[in-house]
Amino acid sequence: MKHSQKRRQMWVLGLGIGLFMGWAGTAILGSSNAWAKDEMEDPNWVNYAKVSGVSGNLNSIGSDTLNNLMTLWAEGFRKQYPNVKIQIEGKGSSTAPPALIEGTAQLGPMSRKMKGKEIDAFESKFGYKPTAFPVAIDALAVYVNKDNTLQGMTIEQVDAVFSKTRQKGYKENLTSWGQLGLTGMFADMPISIYGRNSASGTYGFFKEKVLENGDYKDEVKEQPGSASVVQGVTEDQAGIGYSGIGYRTSSVHALPLSMKAGQPFVEPTFENSASGEYPLSRYLFVYVNRAPNQPLSPIVREFLKYVYSREGQKVVIKDGYFPISEKIIGKQLEHLK
Amino acid sequence: MKFFQQFFASGTLFIWLAGGALACSLLLIGGLLTIIFINGMGYFWPKDLVQLTLKNDTRVLGEIVDTQRIPETATADFPDGQTRMQLKVGNRDVYGLDFRWVDEADIAQRTWPQDVIAFERREWGNFYGWVTAVWDGDTPLVKGRDIAWNAWYPFLEQAESLHREIHHIERDVIGAINADMERARLNLKTLELKGKVSVDSADSLQQDIQQRELAYQEQVQRLVGLYERLNRYRVTLIDVTGEERIFPVGGLVKAWRPNAMRVWDKTLMYVENIWNVLTDEPREANTEGGIFPAIFGTVMMVLVMSVAVVPFGVLAAVYLKEYAKQGLLTRMIRIAVNNLAGVPSIVFGVFGLGFFVYAVGGTIDQLLFSASLPNPTFGTGGMLWASLTLALMTVPVVIVATEEGLSAVPREYREGSLGLGATKFESLIRVVLPCAMPGILTGLILAVSRATGEVAPLMLTGVVKLAPALPVDSQFPFLHLDRKFMHLGFHIYDVGFQSPNVEAAKPMVYVTTLVLVLVVLLLNMTAIALRTRMRKRYAGASV
Repeated sequence: MKHSQKRRQMWVLGLGIGLFMGWAGTAILGSSNAWAKDEMEDPNWVNYAKVSGVSGNLNSIGSDTLNNLMTLWAEGFRKQYPNVKIQIEGKGSSTAPPALIEGTAQLGPMSRKMKGKEIDAFESKFGYKPTAFPVAIDALAVYVNKDNTLQGMTIEQVDAVFSKTRQKGYKENLTSWGQLGLTGMFADMPISIYGRNSASGTYGFFKEKVLENGDYKDEVKEQPGSASVVQGVTEDQAGIGYSGIGYRTSSVHALPLSMKAGQPFVEPTFENSASGEYPLSRYLFVYVNRAPNQPLSPIVREFLKYVYSREGQKVVIKDGYFPISEKIIGKQLEHLK
Repeated sequence: MKFFQQFFASGTLFIWLAGGALACSLLLIGGLLTIIFINGMGYFWPKDLVQLTLKNDTRVLGEIVDTQRIPETATADFPDGQTRMQLKVGNRDVYGLDFRWVDEADIAQRTWPQDVIAFERREWGNFYGWVTAVWDGDTPLVKGRDIAWNAWYPFLEQAESLHREIHHIERDVIGAINADMERARLNLKTLELKGKVSVDSADSLQQDIQQRELAYQEQVQRLVGLYERLNRYRVTLIDVTGEERIFPVGGLVKAWRPNAMRVWDKTLMYVENIWNVLTDEPREANTEGGIFPAIFGTVMMVLVMSVAVVPFGVLAAVYLKEYAKQGLLTRMIRIAVNNLAGVPSIVFGVFGLGFFVYAVGGTIDQLLFSASLPNPTFGTGGMLWASLTLALMTVPVVIVATEEGLSAVPREYREGSLGLGATKFESLIRVVLPCAMPGILTGLILAVSRATGEVAPLMLTGVVKLAPALPVDSQFPFLHLDRKFMHLGFHIYDVGFQSPNVEAAKPMVYVTTLVLVLVVLLLNMTAIALRTRMRKRYAGASV
């Protein structure tokens, strides 16, 4: 697919300005529609080049956040190599490390970094650490109903809504929308909280980053999937919930967040997540078992190369996540050689 | 006072209560089915595309999917409050989302442009707009807003047949080469493992593998050529805001002009859409395309389960009823069987995973498929293990129903048979069991109904989001019970709770639910028809 007309003109203009300025330029041009998916494409991505000698089975066991993405990548990868069989299981990030250790999977997609314990278990079996490849960026968004007029929240406020321990130290327990300054019908409306079940990596990430490992309130309605959090907030005017940015719909509003009171609110857009300004952005990883100074098996290497190609990163955009920067891709491709 | 006494004594109140309860149940079932039916079937109708010009001069084009009242907007002019509508605007790659809410108060003008085209794409969902140019490679064939339908539509039809050819090569031809290659490789490895590898046999196997590799490369070249042809013709599409995008015609599935179509054309397309969903394979991580593999997987699993559960359950019931000495032990066994029917299905799933998959499957792999280890063959979830797990889960139902059927066979039949000199076994096979057949089939019907709707145990024993191949195909040994499979129930869970684009996936959930209900109905009807035939055959048997 071609880039927009606007963008091509911009490119001609920006020939001498260099990569960084080009990027910034796109960001400004794209600001009319910060969510347009093909605005996120980077002209420096390389097309995937097929190589010979790739065949066999590829097993992936791990995160459910990455389940869709892995499936889409598998569909694309099989177009390149119709002789490859790919099986994907996505039951949670915690299932990836044991699968890598037992050798039942070559790929371990995870929506968080491996914990020290998991790395130790791996190291004690193989004598070296597992290798992590960042494959996409996710912004964990805090969603409210589309009728909710709230402009944004600080992380401390989010903590005070979701947590009963309030580790971030907000002054009061937030239970009603009126306490956040909303008026009209929202003034007396109690906040209705939606969250994920404890097996999910998203639950863990939110707990660590926002709650600082405090405890969730008992009122949190735990949902079996990210999409059902969004559905809950869609139907419930007083609802608030957290989910990956890939699950955004027209019936919910992804709140801009700020780290502290007084700082400007930051929207969970691609630019803000890539620059790290959005407080809740994270990398999604694929872990592999790679002995030091040894090449990866061709099928795993080519799969990762595909992930880092133009086709692979377009899949990331298609699934609603954000692509990783060209600089990191370059570095990872260097690793893969 | 007397009136009330009479009223209670007559039982009228009870009749009303019973009738009311029945009416409530029927209403609930009817309501549920109606909701599923309306939401599911409405999805296939090609809806008109409305073009809205907003007061701030932006334009929006899409299907109206929902309208609702905006809270707190009631004024003197609008006592009920103002409304807004949700449009499916498509063009996900351009706008970021497929859906958009528009307040009716912001709308300055609505039109229904006759020439607007809706495109279903292989990726990114639908596109609504117009064709402004047709390209052959990099040279434009035609340009302008008034391009005739015939200037580009034939390329789309041509692309469709190319797609079919590519699909055939990728799945059938290359699939067969792969299967052969894999077999040769395994043979070689088996020989090596046994330490019986002679130079000759190894060489011939190696040559075999190489030949297949060459055949594979040849097919890959063919594919490259086909893909080139597929991407040769491209079209420039423009959306209502004037944004242009170029797509290869091969990236489009179909195109239609909803606003120019008559009711008859729409009906035809409606039927075609339903057919496509039932027979196509899913695309885009299951949110689009069809659900054929899931239907196939569901039906096949139920059939394999029936084959396993009926003999097992009937034999157990026959022993329990006819041969076992009735006493405390049999009573306890009956209680245990009845309780087994109440065990939560997930418990059966865990048992299936531990016993069938890891213990039995792992052992089979060690003994028979050691060459392909560490890749498990039967030591991982699959069709066979899922079916057996469900068979275990439903076996109490069959046992109980068969016992009921056996008790209903009149005593005179048995005695008559015995009196004519038949042994107990002979009269059981020739007389009693055929008469009990309707009861056994009732058990099967109940088992099938329970098994079809079950998802939890399957998630542990072999259902996957996307299975690369069906459990039945043209490659030896044709029936692959070790393969993982797709299932309608899991499909509903996956699309409803896991798919990133809930709004777009919602109709798919209803459609899948509707199909699942229909599959259960169809399977049950088959069994019921069978039972009726049996009843007629042994008319008067089970009084």
